[in-house]
Amino acid sequence: MTLKKEIYQEFEDIVGKNNISDDLALLDSYRYCLAHTAIHLGPYYRVYTPRGAAVLLPGSVEEVQAIVRLCNKHKLRVKPSSTFWSAWGYPLEDNTVQLDMRRMDRILEIDEKNMYAVVEPHVIGAILQAEAMKLGLNTHIHGPGSSCSCLASATALAGFGPDSMYMGQHSENLLGVEWVMPDGEILRVGAAGSGLDWYTCDGPGPSLKGLVRGGQGTFGGLGVFTKCALKLYPWPGPANLPVEGKPPAYKVKLPDNIRGYTLAFSTWKGWADCCYMIWEAGIGYVAHRQYSMFGRDLKGAMVRILSDHTKTLSDIEEMLKDPEIQKFTKEMQRDFQIVIAGMTPRDIEWQDKVLDKILEETGGWKVKGMLEPDLYNWSLLYMLRLGHKNLNLVYAGGYDGCFGIGGTPDFGTSAPSEGEPERVEQATEFKKEWEKKGNIVAAGGDGMMGGIGGFGGGGHAMWENFTHFDPHDKESTEGTLEFFGATSEFGKQKGWGPGMEKMNDYARWTDGRTTPKEIREKLLSGGGEAFRYQRKFKEAFDPNALGDGYYRTLD
Amino acid sequence: MALEDYKPDMERCSQCSYCKWIPLDQVKSWRFAKGCPSIAYNNFLSYSARGRFAVALSLLNKQSTYTDRVVDVIYKCTTCGSCDVSDKICRYNLEPLEMIQELKIRAVEDGQVLPQHTAVIEHLKKENNMMMAPAAERGDWAKGIDVKIVPAEKAEVLFHAGCSYSYDKDLQETARTALTILQKAGVDIGIMGKEESCCGGRAYDTGYKEEFTQLAEKNIKAWNDAGVKTIVTPCADGYHTLMRLYPKLGANFEVYHTVQYFDRLIKEGKIKLTKTVPMRVTYHDPCHLGRRGEPYVPWEGKEKKVKGQIVIYEPRKPRYNGAWGVYEPPRDILNSIPGVELVEMERIKEYAWCCGAGGGTREAYPEFSNWTATERIEEAKATGAEALVTACPWCERNFIDAVNSLGADMKVLDITDLVKQAI
Repeated sequence: MTLKKEIYQEFEDIVGKNNISDDLALLDSYRYCLAHTAIHLGPYYRVYTPRGAAVLLPGSVEEVQAIVRLCNKHKLRVKPSSTFWSAWGYPLEDNTVQLDMRRMDRILEIDEKNMYAVVEPHVIGAILQAEAMKLGLNTHIHGPGSSCSCLASATALAGFGPDSMYMGQHSENLLGVEWVMPDGEILRVGAAGSGLDWYTCDGPGPSLKGLVRGGQGTFGGLGVFTKCALKLYPWPGPANLPVEGKPPAYKVKLPDNIRGYTLAFSTWKGWADCCYMIWEAGIGYVAHRQYSMFGRDLKGAMVRILSDHTKTLSDIEEMLKDPEIQKFTKEMQRDFQIVIAGMTPRDIEWQDKVLDKILEETGGWKVKGMLEPDLYNWSLLYMLRLGHKNLNLVYAGGYDGCFGIGGTPDFGTSAPSEGEPERVEQATEFKKEWEKKGNIVAAGGDGMMGGIGGFGGGGHAMWENFTHFDPHDKESTEGTLEFFGATSEFGKQKGWGPGMEKMNDYARWTDGRTTPKEIREKLLSGGGEAFRYQRKFKEAFDPNALGDGYYRTLD
Repeated sequence: MALEDYKPDMERCSQCSYCKWIPLDQVKSWRFAKGCPSIAYNNFLSYSARGRFAVALSLLNKQSTYTDRVVDVIYKCTTCGSCDVSDKICRYNLEPLEMIQELKIRAVEDGQVLPQHTAVIEHLKKENNMMMAPAAERGDWAKGIDVKIVPAEKAEVLFHAGCSYSYDKDLQETARTALTILQKAGVDIGIMGKEESCCGGRAYDTGYKEEFTQLAEKNIKAWNDAGVKTIVTPCADGYHTLMRLYPKLGANFEVYHTVQYFDRLIKEGKIKLTKTVPMRVTYHDPCHLGRRGEPYVPWEGKEKKVKGQIVIYEPRKPRYNGAWGVYEPPRDILNSIPGVELVEMERIKEYAWCCGAGGGTREAYPEFSNWTATERIEEAKATGAEALVTACPWCERNFIDAVNSLGADMKVLDITDLVKQAI
């Protein structure tokens, strides 16, 4: 339902007539199909998020404030989103005013000396990285890739990604926030709140960062973040990435102090040991199990296709028959990608020597095929810029991660008990059986993709088993839903805990709307006191319930 | 294909928003990271490829109907193809540009048209040009040049000037120069004079498929009747139309843009660039010569799934993603002119920013069209170049107007103008 004329006019008076619309077709472009990207629920065939009441494009914090106040006055929900990457950024209910933050897209400051940037919501990873690199700095780029909002990942989500081991999660990098609270007041958190520079998000006095973000971020469900400061990190490479090649197979040749490898292991134990030893040694710039997202059986062919602009998906069948590609793929079965960056020539030589020593001790090796110049330079660019992250969707347009084997590297790579296969192999075999039904891509069972160091400094590894399907195909989508149901049951029976496939069931239900209360509470019960505390926080800060159920609360 | 045929694309669009930006690998700055002029100017998601997929699906599913806003979303697109390149960084089974063109075509079929367009199209039907000028004056641009007139005289190569060069008095000299250079290089070349017709490409990009088809069929017949085998044009729009659209209607001509022909003749030593032209220039890749200027590859086939759910095409479908556009010939020409220093803008080749003149936007949305051009002028200025060089009269016209509106100190030239100075 759209807004009453007089209410619409009040909003228009704030943002101007060019920055508001309640046109039905336009509003439909602000809905999200629940058979798409990493929504961690469903997938639900041809189910869309509810249509907003209007879309507004605020251009300043003052406009955001005025909009939020008006939403309070008229008891309208408000849902902000910056880059609209996943279902989180879309309404759960009718009568929601959607805020598209794209007009607030400035990098307000890069403090080279103190190594931080102050950004508005629509600054994306690629842009911040490009600007930071000119100053010898770099920014963490979170998992969804460099097309996504840096601010959203830092304030509203956890924001981890392939470089987290060196550059932390964005939630760790948060050095200050400007927050339009659900009552329309502004709170500046951290040193900036005391009129100082944006150098710390904690204090002076008690830190509000945790309250503002909540357990894992607010997912756009508690006010609007309009500015934030993010910690930057050293970049020992060129001021501009010297990108070459034809689309989509762009490549970069970098100086020798930046090197990228695909490491592979003869055992999963060796794989896990390597993670520990890398963390302990303090080497590495980016480390991620990346190309396995294409599937254990397909990744060798896929990296060849993607790094060669003359190839297309239509070449895959032929390539899979090639014994050389089969060998290459097999070699990469237990793999991950790593980029090491030396701050000095001595540093890079030392890091590489340490890496070789670790590989020697863990039975690992650098995959030779990935050292071929075309693949090497393609992979280096991929890992540093994360400009191809939506290859997640390359096969047919739909994917989601399941299982979600997180924790220490041992968790996924070890056997639950003697005589059993490792968890990763069990998950692989389980998925492989389902692949035979034909509803998901037959990729070889193991599409486990994820970080080697989920936090700054390492210490955590998390995989999600990528499952690819066709959102246009009812049978494929519904078959995937059935598979995810079975996956959850499998995880429960095995005592591995819930997987990522239903992670957002607590918020959005099968009709695309808020999950029924009793189901939500059951699903969130594991969060216990933290979510009860968040309930108190929501009551205090959002008395008119402008925010939605993505913010985790328990009665 | 009909709009309905793109429903799978609409449902497979992953709403990732890559379509808004240049390929992310190529982002070099905050200032010049955007790829799609339509959403950069209009801001709402609907003005991006992902948004247009959603709007089209909404219309097809009858969840909404045509409104002024919907019509605005449909036509306020330069059809520059930037979204197409960026989408295809990660996808092999989406065709956003084709869908956008079909959406325009459907709107025209449904009578949802803009008066600014209908005025031009009505004139086109009567006078065979997009310039609101009389057909009888079409050949006037070549007055005074001793050139063969096809079909009365036979020539190995037909020079197709195009509407803009035929009528735009500020630009006609470029066409005259191009023709003369080719003649002097020994090319057996002719023109059709007042018998030349609009290629129809701009009508097609505006959604007027029927009018395009009529013109194209008429041109193809005329050229076949005249025994034309090879066509060279100085117009990037015309090049794209003849190269990519005409073969679908059975045409089988060798088609060149003048930059390709010049480049070849320079490399063969038939055009000698000896005079120094001391100038720092930057080159604007016209969309229709660059990312949309890829050769046509005939294909007829169907979708097929392998490995369960991987969507491929049988037989192997040609992939248009900007990789095979005409990028090197103009650069090679510029680099071979003594004294010319070519400095590149941030957005070039397949991810070049559009000039803003295409898709009927110059006619219907002059403000948007001009803003798009001014963005490019700013980008050109950032290189320190004193001249913005291009190879398309539509781009050149839009840039000249933008420079005037900005009061900018920037020359706008066609590459032909520089070649002439160097001979």
